[in-house]
Amino acid sequence: MSADATPTTPTLSTVEVHQQLGALTRQLHDSLNGLGLAEKVKDWAGELPDAKSRLSYIARLTGQAAEKVLNQVDQAKEQHDFIAAETRRIGQLIVKDPVAAVAKGHVMNFINDVDQASKKVDANLTEIMMAQDFHDLTGQVIAKVVNLAATIEEQLVLLLIQTAPPEAALKAAATPAEYVPALAGPVVDGQSNQEVVTDQSQVDDLLASLGF
Amino acid sequence: MSKELRFLIVDDFSTMRRIVRNLLKESGYADADEAEDGVAALQKLRNSSFDFVVSDINMPNMNGFQLLAEIKKDDKLKHIPVLMVTAEARKEDIVLAAQQGASGYIVKPFTKATLEDKVNHILTKLGLK
Repeated sequence: MSADATPTTPTLSTVEVHQQLGALTRQLHDSLNGLGLAEKVKDWAGELPDAKSRLSYIARLTGQAAEKVLNQVDQAKEQHDFIAAETRRIGQLIVKDPVAAVAKGHVMNFINDVDQASKKVDANLTEIMMAQDFHDLTGQVIAKVVNLAATIEEQLVLLLIQTAPPEAALKAAATPAEYVPALAGPVVDGQSNQEVVTDQSQVDDLLASLGF
Repeated sequence: MSKELRFLIVDDFSTMRRIVRNLLKESGYADADEAEDGVAALQKLRNSSFDFVVSDINMPNMNGFQLLAEIKKDDKLKHIPVLMVTAEARKEDIVLAAQQGASGYIVKPFTKATLEDKVNHILTKLGLK
């Protein structure tokens, strides 16, 4: 910045725009109050950070699932490569001298190795399957965010209808259904909420304390 | 050999039904059927024979609490253990499930070991294993 730079004084048009914005804000505030929507807007404002944290939860969960699957695939491929290499090696030994391959324990060792590797691959596949649970958990969270967006949209449409000229309002007579949240769904931020459990051991402790 | 136990898996997400079904199979319980909500589950329970129900809570049409209540007030079904497997982690929900007669409660996400442990525990407790 040059030394002689001075702050610009607002031009007349800037002041006018500022005043108009102020008037519009006041008008919107009064309209919302007049229509009894001020409390609704406060509710939306309260729910938006929750929606933000829910979307972060989805990003985190899908990221973790992808990472988990890729790690498990890497491990399974290692086992698969090992089995493939050992199969080629034992095949060559059998072709070369079948009796020695059995007598020296190469065949039996190979069978044991394949058995162990298969168990590891099976565990990898189970983990890959378990990683898909993100679909259920994120699906529930997405449904809640979509519901919030739908509620806001409905209320804004209602506001438009109520403030529109009479002839336009008549055309849009649909009454939006009120969204009633049922169950809480997945815990997206358990650390700040004492009313929820964050892992299975807490569930077990709670049930045990009740005698179950 | 004792009769193979028959499971009913209730969840609105097909992914989760498949996961639970595969885990049960890996744990030695291969005989399982599925239902996508409480209404479908109740219909299957009344038209067929099951030994164990694994149910989600948050489902359309009839949720897991409602299904549990229907099972427990039906003389022909009330003996069937119901294990809740759900993302609902509020303490009040866990307490409510226990009070309504659920045999166990698992919060999602869960592990294979947790599911196996709870199922075996319930079956042992009821003398079914």
